[in-house]
Amino acid sequence: MFWRIKNIIIAIVLAGLMLTEIAGCSNSERTVNKDNESSKPVVISLEGGDWGYPTPFSHYSRGPGVFKMTLIFDSLLERGEKGYIPWLAEKWDISKDGLEYTFTLKENVKWHDGEPMTAEDVKFSFEYFAKHPPVSNDLTVDGKSFIKSVEVVDAKTVHIKVEKPLAIILGKIGNARIIPKHIWEKVDDPRKFNTPEAVIGTGPFVLKDYRKEQGAYKYEAFKDFWGPKPKVDILQFIPVSDSVLAFDKGEIDITGITPDILSKYEGNREYKVMKNPAFWGYRLIFNMEKRAELKDKEIRKAFAYAIDKNELVEKVARKAAVPGSAGYLPVDHIWYNKGVKNYQFNIDKAKALLKGRKMSFNLLIGNSNAEIRIAELLKISLAKAGIEINVKSVDMKTRDAAVKKGNYEIVLTGHGGWGNDADLLRTMYAKEKTSNQSPSADGIPGYSNEQINELCKLQLIEMDPAKRKDIIFKLQELIAEEIPQIPLYNTTGYIVYRPYKYDGWKYMFDHHEVTHNKLSYLDVK
Amino acid sequence: MGKGLLKKASEYLITFFIIITLNFFIPRLMPGDPFTFLSSEEGQITVTYTEEQIDKYKAYYGLDKPLFVQYASYITNLFKGNLGYSIYYNDSVVRIIGKRIPWTVSIVIISIILSCLVGTILGSWSAWHRNGIPDKVIYAVMIPISEIPSFLIGILFLFILAAKQGIFPLSGGISTFAEYNNPAEKAVDIIHHAVLPVLTLSMTRLGEFYLLSRNSMVSVLSKDYIRTAKAKGLNKVRIIFRHALKNAMLPIVTRVFLSLGAIFGGAILVENVFSYPGLGRLMREAVMVRDYVLIQGIFIFMAVMVLTMNLLADILYVKLDPRVS
Repeated sequence: MFWRIKNIIIAIVLAGLMLTEIAGCSNSERTVNKDNESSKPVVISLEGGDWGYPTPFSHYSRGPGVFKMTLIFDSLLERGEKGYIPWLAEKWDISKDGLEYTFTLKENVKWHDGEPMTAEDVKFSFEYFAKHPPVSNDLTVDGKSFIKSVEVVDAKTVHIKVEKPLAIILGKIGNARIIPKHIWEKVDDPRKFNTPEAVIGTGPFVLKDYRKEQGAYKYEAFKDFWGPKPKVDILQFIPVSDSVLAFDKGEIDITGITPDILSKYEGNREYKVMKNPAFWGYRLIFNMEKRAELKDKEIRKAFAYAIDKNELVEKVARKAAVPGSAGYLPVDHIWYNKGVKNYQFNIDKAKALLKGRKMSFNLLIGNSNAEIRIAELLKISLAKAGIEINVKSVDMKTRDAAVKKGNYEIVLTGHGGWGNDADLLRTMYAKEKTSNQSPSADGIPGYSNEQINELCKLQLIEMDPAKRKDIIFKLQELIAEEIPQIPLYNTTGYIVYRPYKYDGWKYMFDHHEVTHNKLSYLDVK
Repeated sequence: MGKGLLKKASEYLITFFIIITLNFFIPRLMPGDPFTFLSSEEGQITVTYTEEQIDKYKAYYGLDKPLFVQYASYITNLFKGNLGYSIYYNDSVVRIIGKRIPWTVSIVIISIILSCLVGTILGSWSAWHRNGIPDKVIYAVMIPISEIPSFLIGILFLFILAAKQGIFPLSGGISTFAEYNNPAEKAVDIIHHAVLPVLTLSMTRLGEFYLLSRNSMVSVLSKDYIRTAKAKGLNKVRIIFRHALKNAMLPIVTRVFLSLGAIFGGAILVENVFSYPGLGRLMREAVMVRDYVLIQGIFIFMAVMVLTMNLLADILYVKLDPRVS
């Protein structure tokens, strides 16, 4: 009898070994890099993770998948350190009425398969996106396409007519990816199109290998890239269990670090530490539909005075953050107005505003450590002013669903994108009945302010950037005074890298991650 | 016998049907949907879809249809062997799971075998020396080990053996983009990567097998035929492993099969610690993003595995124990 069990065990062991071997075989597609051996190729390794096949249609909506896609696919404009810079379009012209855009394309731009890129590809891309929206869809405002027509004037000139003259259109058109007509015109279901052809772009990097289950990507510099010379020959994303351990062992070349281990790298010549711009943040949203008393500005101000943002920055973010601006746009935003009302922590003021009223609210939060800590600190300081807070912690998706349905009294939520075009103030604070916006952009439930709505509308159609900036500044002041929601803090986070290995890291003007920036890998000044 | 078999078969069928039904409804009853991303983890970014985009995707994946219509098509597809197309991962569920199964299944099976073998040997040894020094020492070590959560053990291994000593790799199931000269080299690389996850998983199960075999052994060792064997002057190892273990095996073997579900659960945590490319990590992610189709696929696979093991245990039990018919 015993031998039978033994046989079974042996069979199982063999099966196990066989499976391992199968796993090995499925990974046998490998690429060989035979570049010029004379100069050692620059290989940069970054933290991996599966973020989808990097086409405009199949990268994942969460996470940095979109930036893995933009390494391959170029756009008409690119996001530089100060603002948009010419990219596939070397110049452009906007008609006086703001309804017509003419782009002149760079010459000698080649797709990764050697075909030339022309104005036809641009026209095709815009029309294709209208039929099949990509994951990250730039060609809409409030969920509606704004492109009226795209005409090819000649091989290097495109003429685009838009529905309405809006200030944000140039950035949106400029950010849309250009895909090759000769490949995609045959594709009816772009979400399922995941052959090697699907990752042919004009960008500086060519996808050489992608391993979904391991979360690994390998890119190689494109030899015939039209633009600035790539400084990195091979860019790879590899699986990492703990990014700091992996960085210390030299497996990856850059990592984010918490302030607690900052001292290990700071002041050490081997490393360089950078502080990210504050474009990721937490905010408290008031639901004035559920709790009508929050329509009272005095009560909202009482909240603002009773919250010690500096304490949150110090205790929760361990100083790797900046207190939120009551005018929403964070301090690093190109149009941040530093003159907005600042609610310095002051319990007495909060009490005075509440006039002895005692209140109780439910606060919905996610389940991350930071959120739980924030909520506990809020609870303590608000209690001092006479506002009782009941905290309910749920998982992220549950919280998002509640936000979408307006099923909360006060919610704590965190997200990126605080560096985006200032039009985000409109989607955030203005009430427009007819809109079919993204669900987060339904404004603040139950809140509407004529003046804010008006300014939001104005800035959207103001084509003169200087005048528009004035409006945005005014808008921030108004928002700070009204305080319909409370930005708590914006994280800055630190990154560390070894400059002798690679020192090209740069930020985009509106984004907080250097590794997401295509220009970080190119020879641009 | 035939009647009993029929009864067993129908029992399994009903269980399976209940599982696939729960599989369909539970993910859909969770708050949230696969397309609404309004927030992100700290420092992370996310694309927020417009309502129009969400409607489009819902129609594309058939999620706009009434629930019972979706359920009907899920069942019919299932019987055709079609597990569907993942909403979040943009790939066929069979392909996604297929690529990860070998990784998880091999570490799980090897861990079970290891923990069972080592646990049984230690348990038998302990039982023989019951209340003696070796027993007390092993017992005192085993109890805490079996209670430490697997991810803690994993992190400990990661820090000491991988980060500090550098004996094992930090993460992954295979060296990324490595080039091998021959299959043996590759196998070594895979095994090298699997050591820490396997060790961690085995540690978490070790205590269970140890205690079980110790108990089982203690009762067997008090039997008359063991006294006879001792009296015959047979050596210790021979008595333990030939005479006693054979009879003490029964509950251990059953436990091997029944602990499979639990060890798969442990694998989720361990794979996350080591960034191992298996099913566990995928499952966590799938639940987090509410990828209904993928969640269903993974749980069906797990259910089939566990049911099969149960069935095997049932069959084996009959073979091993002459008293059961």
